[in-house]
Amino acid sequence: MAVCVAVIAKENYPLYIRSTPTENQLKFHYTVHTSLDVVDEKISAMGKAVMDQRELYLGLLYPTEDYKVYGYVTNSKVKFVMVVDSSNTSLRDNEIRSMFRKLHNSYTDVMCNPFYNPGDPIQSRAFDNTVTSMMVPAC
Amino acid sequence: MSAPDYMQCAEDHQTLLVVVQSIGVIKNENFFKIYNRVSSVCQVNPMNTQRLLFIRYRHQYPVENNEWGDFQTHRKVVGLISIAECGSARDLPPTILKFEQQKEAYSSTLYDSRLFVFGFQGEMADQSRIDVASYPSYDDCAAVDKRVEDFIQSLFIVLESKRLDRTSEKSGEKIPLLYVPYEKKDFVGLDPDSRHYKKRCQGRMRKHVGDLCLQAGMLQDALVHYHMAVELLRAVNDFVWLGAALEGLCSASVIHHYPGGTGGKAGTQRRQSVTLSADSFKRHRPGAQEVLIDPGALSTNGINMDASTEIGRAKNCLSPDDIIEKYKEAISCYGKSKAAGVIELEACVKAVRVLAIQKRSMEASEFLQNVVYINLRQLSEEEKIQRYSVLSELYELIGFRRKSSFFKRVAAMQCVAPSIVEPGWKACYKLLLETLPGYSLSLDPKDFSKGTHKGWAAVQMRLLHELVYASRRMGNPALAVRHLSFLLQTMLDFLSDQEKKDVAQSLESYTSKCPGTMDPITLPEGLILPPVPFTKLPIVRSVKLLDLPVILRPQKVKNLLGQKLSTKSPFIYSPIIAHNRSEEKNKKIDFQWVQGDVCEVQLMVYNPMPFELRVETMGLLTSGVEFEYLPAALSLPAESGLYPVTLVGVPRTTGQITVNGYHTSVFGVYSDCLLDNLPGLKNNGCTVDVIPALPRLQISTSLPRSAHALQPSSGDEVSTHVSVQLYNGETQKVIIKLENIGTEPLEKLEVTSKTVNTKEKFYGDFLSWELEETLAQFPLKPGNTAILTVYIKVKLDFSCQENLLQDLSDDGISVSGLQISSPFRHVSKPRVESKPINQSDSKSSDFNHVKSLEGILNFKYSGGPGHVEGYYRNLSLGLHVDVEPSVFFTRVSTLPATSTRQCHLLFDVFNSTEHELTINAKDNQDLILHAGECQRMAIQVDKFNFESISDSSSERQSFPNLKEIEEERQHSKGLEINSKLGIRWKIPSLKREGEASVEGVLNQLVLEHLQLAPLQWDVSVDGKPCDCDVIADCKVGDPIHLEVRLTNCSKNAVGPFALTVIPYQDYQNGVHNHELQDIVTFVGSNTFYIGTVQPMDHSVCFGALLFLYTGDFYLDIKFQDDNSNRELPLSWFCLPSVHIRAIDTLSETKF
Repeated sequence: MAVCVAVIAKENYPLYIRSTPTENQLKFHYTVHTSLDVVDEKISAMGKAVMDQRELYLGLLYPTEDYKVYGYVTNSKVKFVMVVDSSNTSLRDNEIRSMFRKLHNSYTDVMCNPFYNPGDPIQSRAFDNTVTSMMVPAC
Repeated sequence: MSAPDYMQCAEDHQTLLVVVQSIGVIKNENFFKIYNRVSSVCQVNPMNTQRLLFIRYRHQYPVENNEWGDFQTHRKVVGLISIAECGSARDLPPTILKFEQQKEAYSSTLYDSRLFVFGFQGEMADQSRIDVASYPSYDDCAAVDKRVEDFIQSLFIVLESKRLDRTSEKSGEKIPLLYVPYEKKDFVGLDPDSRHYKKRCQGRMRKHVGDLCLQAGMLQDALVHYHMAVELLRAVNDFVWLGAALEGLCSASVIHHYPGGTGGKAGTQRRQSVTLSADSFKRHRPGAQEVLIDPGALSTNGINMDASTEIGRAKNCLSPDDIIEKYKEAISCYGKSKAAGVIELEACVKAVRVLAIQKRSMEASEFLQNVVYINLRQLSEEEKIQRYSVLSELYELIGFRRKSSFFKRVAAMQCVAPSIVEPGWKACYKLLLETLPGYSLSLDPKDFSKGTHKGWAAVQMRLLHELVYASRRMGNPALAVRHLSFLLQTMLDFLSDQEKKDVAQSLESYTSKCPGTMDPITLPEGLILPPVPFTKLPIVRSVKLLDLPVILRPQKVKNLLGQKLSTKSPFIYSPIIAHNRSEEKNKKIDFQWVQGDVCEVQLMVYNPMPFELRVETMGLLTSGVEFEYLPAALSLPAESGLYPVTLVGVPRTTGQITVNGYHTSVFGVYSDCLLDNLPGLKNNGCTVDVIPALPRLQISTSLPRSAHALQPSSGDEVSTHVSVQLYNGETQKVIIKLENIGTEPLEKLEVTSKTVNTKEKFYGDFLSWELEETLAQFPLKPGNTAILTVYIKVKLDFSCQENLLQDLSDDGISVSGLQISSPFRHVSKPRVESKPINQSDSKSSDFNHVKSLEGILNFKYSGGPGHVEGYYRNLSLGLHVDVEPSVFFTRVSTLPATSTRQCHLLFDVFNSTEHELTINAKDNQDLILHAGECQRMAIQVDKFNFESISDSSSERQSFPNLKEIEEERQHSKGLEINSKLGIRWKIPSLKREGEASVEGVLNQLVLEHLQLAPLQWDVSVDGKPCDCDVIADCKVGDPIHLEVRLTNCSKNAVGPFALTVIPYQDYQNGVHNHELQDIVTFVGSNTFYIGTVQPMDHSVCFGALLFLYTGDFYLDIKFQDDNSNRELPLSWFCLPSVHIRAIDTLSETKF
């Protein structure tokens, strides 16, 4: 399952980033940060395409030796980035897609909180739990 | 083939490689002068043909790369230019020998070579050698260009011959197999006659010819050859060569599509020449057609050549999308052989460059990703750095700035890898700086001051740490301090407590060597590092300019009263004005500072650090006025709450001062923090006027200082308090010393007083002073002292009201207005009447109650330049007087005197002190009162005519209501009575004395008794006025005249009245005999009638009496009550009693 989940604001700064505690956190920061280049590229490419009926799922952003980075962008240009262990070959595109959808729903819930200021780091326990459920290996 | 050339681009395929080398020792500078000169000749139009020849120069080229020359001809070194320095002819032969050796190295591929000898004077010994040229000096070498061009021409001839040779080779004879070095052993034992082998030879040769055509500037021919080669090689699964053919095809197409070039560097130069030769290209097309073997075009379009070339070009040339496809294919072909790794890598790089031009970043990134995975043999550290730098550059090219920064940072880290013997910290630092934009990090703290920090804090922090470390290892501590300050300032919210501690510690250790300053640091690369002020260490929450203390506060003489209000709004009050926005923006404060006086600014600061923060030399930054600040040092406890800090300074000139910010020194870093840049600062104005200097007055008194402050309700703030204890009625003299402790002369002084606590009833002036004497000593020079004498007079109520009323009610004598007592009982001298004070014991607490009085003395003073501007200062002295009761008048009453014009006042005087006390009235003897004793004191007084006083006072002031008039009237009455009485007390043991005022004691009833009745009755007997104790003598038998005169002093007409005279005899035993019809007879009526008397008029009645016997008689003139609705008071009708002594005429005659 996911080893790192990040939510990135429209202005490309992190709202939320969490990775498996056993690994080097900074490494994932770098991974997610550099993946934004690809996200930007994909979004700008998408801008030329039909605006409505846009696919939110960006697909595989880039593979590294150990990980695969997947992206998802909401209509408000908030990005979700998920880093998945590339050894985990059983994971299908559809599963990734559904994980992103789950994440998006949870994020929507966070946004619905009247005490949450858009643009602030996310500190929601519910969202945390969602992310945790994605990060533990599905049994 | 081991060393990849990362700078390669697709159009390099059409170039000829020329190596420029030096022989012997030549200064780098000189060598590159010549090298640059030579390499400027990079395009040549050979043999006046319309073709263009491109040359690539290298000053070093690995020989093993040269071995791949057959694979891709642009890798082949075809020309060699050697540069040598030779002083004499003797040195020439060894030089030429070395030149030959150099040629040897590239001998297998070399077409031609040249030797340029510099510094050689005189003639060349061997003129036969055309490949050697000599020049006297490095500067004098104009002919080099020409030489190089000639050299290129010769290269072209060889190239062209080779091309034609290879092209014609296919006529049937055996084609040699071209191979790359590593393939050599693979072909051992292969059957050279097999069809497969032949095809391979054919395909490889075709590809080679394509290369040559491309180099010779025949793009179309090259395309055709490449196409054929691809077909041939694909059939025999010769993957590496197929890849090369495909790449050649791509290169040729790229050259066609993007004449501007993909390398970027020499692009402009190239494009220019290409456009120049664009039309010549066309014209030459038929020439090219001669050698073009186009399987498709030849048969169909033999006639229309121009059209065929167009079609051929369109057909042979790949479309931009196809280029990428073919590149992909080529790379995958290369990928099949491990030995072709470098070729694959270079192909990727070339493809990325093409894609960058096509702006297809996504695909480019895929190619780059592939580059990362291509594993070459163990790379040296330097090569790694180069590789990462190139990756970074390429990512930059396709707009992936984050990726680019990532690789740049990796390259930077590689520069200082532990395996490197001499770490290149400078290079590392330089590379790290270049990564900043990729991490959206600017080194200007201003970019972070707006709102909360938004960015990749973890990544940015790491980078900053690396910058700090690199700059420190570079040996530039100032830079390290600057970066570390920046880290601390901008990343404070993201640092953990431990990190904060560590950063602060290392910062302190750095600054011990090199303190942080506010100067921007300019890096050699031209980047300017702005200063980093520590606005968060400590965090300042509010800045407040403080007014001067009350005693020093300047005040403006109010000659323009209300002007301020009128300019603002026509309304006296409006809620809109109260919240006026523009007012806030103005930021001007409505108090003033004074030149030369210490002024204060209060900051509320907050320490965000988890340890104690020491802030040294904290001061103010101001503008407008010369301001001398006194630095403060403070130590803030860990994560303190808001902590007030007062910064002080002295304005030295006048004008408008603006507090712009503050200055701190934290961890050895000096920072100037401007208030404008502080987020979330509460600030209500930073601009204040500084007015010219004013003197300062200090007062000291003869009285002891008091800890007792005035009640806050007093409003004014009082600087000094003194207190004194006085007995009621006492007067105290106080000497006040006025000292000018300022620097300006004190020119003007005004003194006013105010009584604060007015709960007590108070009589007379509390404070009085003589200012003239003091003012005579003015102006007061600085340091001089003047003296002012002030008298404190306490005169509280001497009565005790409740007792008084109680006593009066049961005293029949005083209440009665009627004359009932015998005149003989009234004594004219003060009568002492001991009275038991049984009830005073219970009420002694009341009597001993100490009352306090408070007053304020205000000193308004001014002088010096401030006075000229119309400012003054106010100094207040608070006086607290504890008033102990001295004497009380517990009861007051009146007794009519014998005369109707006089009256006796009786006071019960109570000594409430603990000392023996004497009391006396005017002209009277002392009355001694022991402690707690109460005695009666009687004073005979003339009755008062109050009308005149009250009239005059009511005329002077018009009181709004009757009650006040009445009060005022009573007050003035009391005053008059008091002054007439002049009662004083004295405590001999304490040597204290004072007066006892009766003002508050006198009640309405007593006053009425003391007042002269408005109707004055004068009774005269036999023409003699007959009053109180006068005894009128008369003879028995003689009628005596009785005259009653009424004078009306009241304002209204009075009357009519009826008076009856009733004689009687007093037996002195309480028995009055009224049965005197036989003894006294009236001549005429004993009843008088008085008509209406107008105001100020008088009426007289006459009558006569005849005494028949001797004796003492009294005449009681009674007022006949005939008017039922009479409203005049009874006391108005107190007529004097008449005492007549009738004497026998006989006895008289007897004597």
